[in-house]
Amino acid sequence: MPPIQVELFSAPNCRRCGKAKILLEAVVSLWPESEICWRVVDVVEELDHAVQIGVLATPAIAVDGQLVFTAIPAEERLRDVLRQHVEQARTIPE
Amino acid sequence: MDDLPPGKGRSDYRIGEITRLTGLSADTLRYYEKIRLLPQIGRTAAGTRLYGERDLTHLRFILRAKAMNFSLDEIARLLEMRGDPQHARDEVRELTQQKLQEVERHLVDLETLHRELTLLVNLCRGASDGCPIIDDLKKGTDLFFGSREK
Repeated sequence: MPPIQVELFSAPNCRRCGKAKILLEAVVSLWPESEICWRVVDVVEELDHAVQIGVLATPAIAVDGQLVFTAIPAEERLRDVLRQHVEQARTIPE
Repeated sequence: MDDLPPGKGRSDYRIGEITRLTGLSADTLRYYEKIRLLPQIGRTAAGTRLYGERDLTHLRFILRAKAMNFSLDEIARLLEMRGDPQHARDEVRELTQQKLQEVERHLVDLETLHRELTLLVNLCRGASDGCPIIDDLKKGTDLFFGSREK
C-alpha cells in the first residue's frame, strides 16, 4: 500500500502556517511513515503546483493532490479526513 | 441588415460620443467604415455621421476580437458570421470554429493567471510583516535597475 501524500501549503511570513504545521505534524504522527508521507510546500517556490491544486490562500492542506482544507482545520476533523484516506488506501491492492 | 427594429436603442450617437464610449479615435472609426468593417453609417442631411446601438455592439465585438489579437481581416469574416450565422460560408464557419478554440485556450490561461494573482494577493494580505511577494519583486527590480534607496 503506497502512503497517502499530505501537503501543507505555506508561505514566508504567513501568520497561521506555523500553527498549521504543528497541528499537522501532531496528527500525522498517529500513523507510521509507511501510511502517511507529508511535506510543507512553499507556494512562492512552487507557485505552479499550488495553483494547479487550487490553492488560493495559505495555509491549505491537500491530500493525494486534492485540496481538502483551505484554512486550519479542527484537530478532530483533520484526523478524521486522514483516517478516511488511509483506510481507503489500505483497500487498494498493491 | 444592421438596423435594429424601431424603438430598440438609440440611433443618434455622434462620432464624439462613440469615441468616448469605445476609446477608438474618430479616424479609426472612419477607417473601419471605409474598409467596410462597419456598415455604412447613417448621416444627417448635413453629412454628420449618426451611429446606432447596433453599430456600437459591432464596435464592441471588434474591440474584443482585437484584444484577442485577431487581424482586421479575420474580424471582418467573423462579423460576416455574426451578421448571418445560418448562411455563412464554409471558410467563415471554419475560421469561427478555429477562433472559438483560440478563445477557449485563452480562457484556460486567464483562469490560471487569475488563480495565481488571487494567491499572490492573498499571500500579501496574510503576511504578518510586509508583503513577501512585493519584497521579492522589488529585490528583482533592484537587481535590474539598481535601488535608489540609501
